[in-house]
Amino acid sequence: MPSVCFYFQVHQPFRLKRYSFFDIGKDHFYEDDDKNKSVLDKVSEKCYLKTNRKMLDLINRHKGKFKITYSISGTAIEQFEKYRPDVLQSFVDLSKTGCVEFLSETYYHSLSFIYSKDEFRRQVEMHREKIKQHFGQTPKVFRNTELIYSNELASYIEKMGYKGILCEGVDRLLNGRTPNFLYQPAGSLKIKAFLKNYSLSDDVAFRFSDRNWAEWPLQADTFASWVHKIAGNGEVLNLFMDYETFGEHQWEETGIFEFLDHLPTEIMKHPDFDFKTLSEAIDSYKVRDIYDAPDYISWADAERDLSAWLSNSMEKEAMKRIYALEEKVIKSENQDLIEVWGKLQTSDHFYYMCTKFWSDGDVHKYFSPYDSPYDAYIYYMNALADFETTIEEYYKDQRQAKKLSKKKETVE
Amino acid sequence: MSTKPIDPIIPPVAATAKPVVETKAPLPKILMLGWEFPPVINGGLGVACHDLCIALSKYAQVTMIIPKSNPDFVVKNLNLIGMNTIDTKTLRNIGHTTSYKKVKQVHFIDTHLNPYYNGNNPGNQPLDLQSQYLKTIQIGNETAEVFHIDDLYGGDVIEKVTVFGKLAAKLALSLDFDVIHAHDWMTMIAGMEIKRQTGKPLVMHIHSLEVDRGGPNSKGWVYQMEKNGMEYADVLMPVSNFTGHIIHDYYQIPWSKIHTCHNGIRPVTPFKSDKLFKEKMVLFVGRLTRQKGPEYFVDIAERVLEYNQDVRFVMAGTGEYFNPLLERAASRGIAHRFHLTGFLNLDKVRQLLSIADVYVMPSVSEPFGLSAVEAVQFGVPAVISKQSGVSEVLSGSLKFDFWDINRAAEYILALLQDNVLHEKVCEDAFKDLENISWDHASQTVIDGYTKYGLLKEVVSS
Repeated sequence: MPSVCFYFQVHQPFRLKRYSFFDIGKDHFYEDDDKNKSVLDKVSEKCYLKTNRKMLDLINRHKGKFKITYSISGTAIEQFEKYRPDVLQSFVDLSKTGCVEFLSETYYHSLSFIYSKDEFRRQVEMHREKIKQHFGQTPKVFRNTELIYSNELASYIEKMGYKGILCEGVDRLLNGRTPNFLYQPAGSLKIKAFLKNYSLSDDVAFRFSDRNWAEWPLQADTFASWVHKIAGNGEVLNLFMDYETFGEHQWEETGIFEFLDHLPTEIMKHPDFDFKTLSEAIDSYKVRDIYDAPDYISWADAERDLSAWLSNSMEKEAMKRIYALEEKVIKSENQDLIEVWGKLQTSDHFYYMCTKFWSDGDVHKYFSPYDSPYDAYIYYMNALADFETTIEEYYKDQRQAKKLSKKKETVE
Repeated sequence: MSTKPIDPIIPPVAATAKPVVETKAPLPKILMLGWEFPPVINGGLGVACHDLCIALSKYAQVTMIIPKSNPDFVVKNLNLIGMNTIDTKTLRNIGHTTSYKKVKQVHFIDTHLNPYYNGNNPGNQPLDLQSQYLKTIQIGNETAEVFHIDDLYGGDVIEKVTVFGKLAAKLALSLDFDVIHAHDWMTMIAGMEIKRQTGKPLVMHIHSLEVDRGGPNSKGWVYQMEKNGMEYADVLMPVSNFTGHIIHDYYQIPWSKIHTCHNGIRPVTPFKSDKLFKEKMVLFVGRLTRQKGPEYFVDIAERVLEYNQDVRFVMAGTGEYFNPLLERAASRGIAHRFHLTGFLNLDKVRQLLSIADVYVMPSVSEPFGLSAVEAVQFGVPAVISKQSGVSEVLSGSLKFDFWDINRAAEYILALLQDNVLHEKVCEDAFKDLENISWDHASQTVIDGYTKYGLLKEVVSS
């Protein structure tokens, strides 16, 4: 009996302002508050509130048979807390239905696993606490930033106590096999891997409103018939996508909400099919084969590797500089410094610096708040330069404070 | 800037040029109308026309009529006709001079006008025919003598433009061609007259407009001529979308007639030289006129020097802003870091490019901006104004609004102290260079002819 596993990524970064060279040393706040609030407001109205309402309605209508899974980044939750508690509440309402699972990830939606295991662990634990605090669940399944994944990550995550992990079903690694089973990551013992079925996921996430697509306009019954084809050669169909697909990437006018409205009914018309959260799927199905990913893969761009964040010299330089600060920041035990450092690790900052196909106006450009990858790099590095001096200042102050207290002691 | 000879050796067309595909259809025949042409050039127009013609000759038979040619200067595959070499008696025998209705009534105001200098341009004065016309040119007896004079833009340029128009029109009657392809306002009368007489489609290639040179309020007779010419033309080929917008916004020409053809550039072999001083060098190359925004360069320099003293700013070029710029730099207290070189020839400019660290082009209105591409050829990252055509083809560059001093200074400071950024911008710009070629430009020209059905007769015959 095959199960459809819906998983949605909910993420918003703290975008930086055009932090000028002339601000260095004068202004220690790097975020673009107005921009972040206005983007969140826009996406909340177009996507989060509407889609959450729809999901709640579907769960009620299907009497608990419709199940979904979310991963909400720590930075997104913080922004909900700060600007849109109504959206946060609508996720809490969903969590109370018992049909919704929340996953673990890095709090800052970062690439920390690649640069520092300590920082990675710190962020995963921080995120786990945040999820527990709001939704009363302790996540058992992990998904890394933008489905960045490798054998090493799976094994590390297994040791942290997780029983499942998500990744992209990459053709070159599947080598003709279907992504529609649970796999065992090479080098791990118990943890089970969910592989994204990118073909069917992208039909919804990217092609849905494409008028040049032969299948346009896509109807729920057509899509359900494609889903049903896996019967006999598949147990889990992993439809993974950005939550913003609903209403933001695909506007309401495209009919995406009607599609969503009819989809569960159409899929469950086939008596063998149901919906499961990822944890339920782990309990229901065995692994069928080994998935071997010695190098990093991800769900980003056509390459499905790290090139969306780490393909050019600017990205590498910025990444090197931010992680070089780890020791000083952590040792300071200063919560402000640690928080700023964490936010500067968010993968989006590096995504904006990407120059792949940039002149063609690709998807990186769509998401970027900057005019060019150079601007993204220049403003990030300016902010970083100020942050570095702030750290130095902090240590200088500490030393002076110590000296003063010593002097006092000797006087006394 | 006086008329000066340039190296007449013609470099090979862009290395990326593809071989001509053999087709059964005859090559289209183009009648080009130019003004400046090597070895007699004044600005970028002559070089651009020359290089475009060479590249086009692979796809078409090109005949080029220009006011002045040097008989020693032969260009392969190009039929070059200089008015100064034409015997007017021969001309008089060509065709039946029936339809000079418009031209023979043209009235002239006496003016000295240079399309590239624009301090107090008399062209901006309103045209008052009643009081200002001084003479009417007669058809027939005047010779092409005017084109023996050295300076194409000196003397009575209007007379030259009109004589050129009349003579070119006569000459055209003896030539076989499919399309008239005129360059800028100086050849517009010629282009219009030939179209009127032959009914052949007229394409106007726009390298520069009065609105670029004189500002958005330009309303002189050059502006009027440009407007009339562009209205009368079948297709306009501006050298950038930026210029396309000016044609649409300031001359009210419909978008449907506008077909952008970005300029190309001659390949060069770049070199690096030993530095002349230990400080980093930020370079400006161009005429010191309003259009190029030279005063912004001083402001930018001042802002940069507030934060980084180890930089020298160099301006190569001359123009009516020379003295005001000197004074401006001195009054800001940055004269010790600010250098005006005056006019430099191509070799000297290249010498500067070979030691420059950053190139800045703060143009207020720049139809293309070839100098930025030349900088890129020398591996110098370019900080350029968004008000330029070149910004459309150079993704490897940092772009600012010409008035945004802070942004430009910020970019320069970043490039000067961040090697990663410096190298990355150059690397990306080198990739852009692959698409900036005259072969590419000439293909776009041919595409335009086809798109607008100008070669219909060729195809059917």
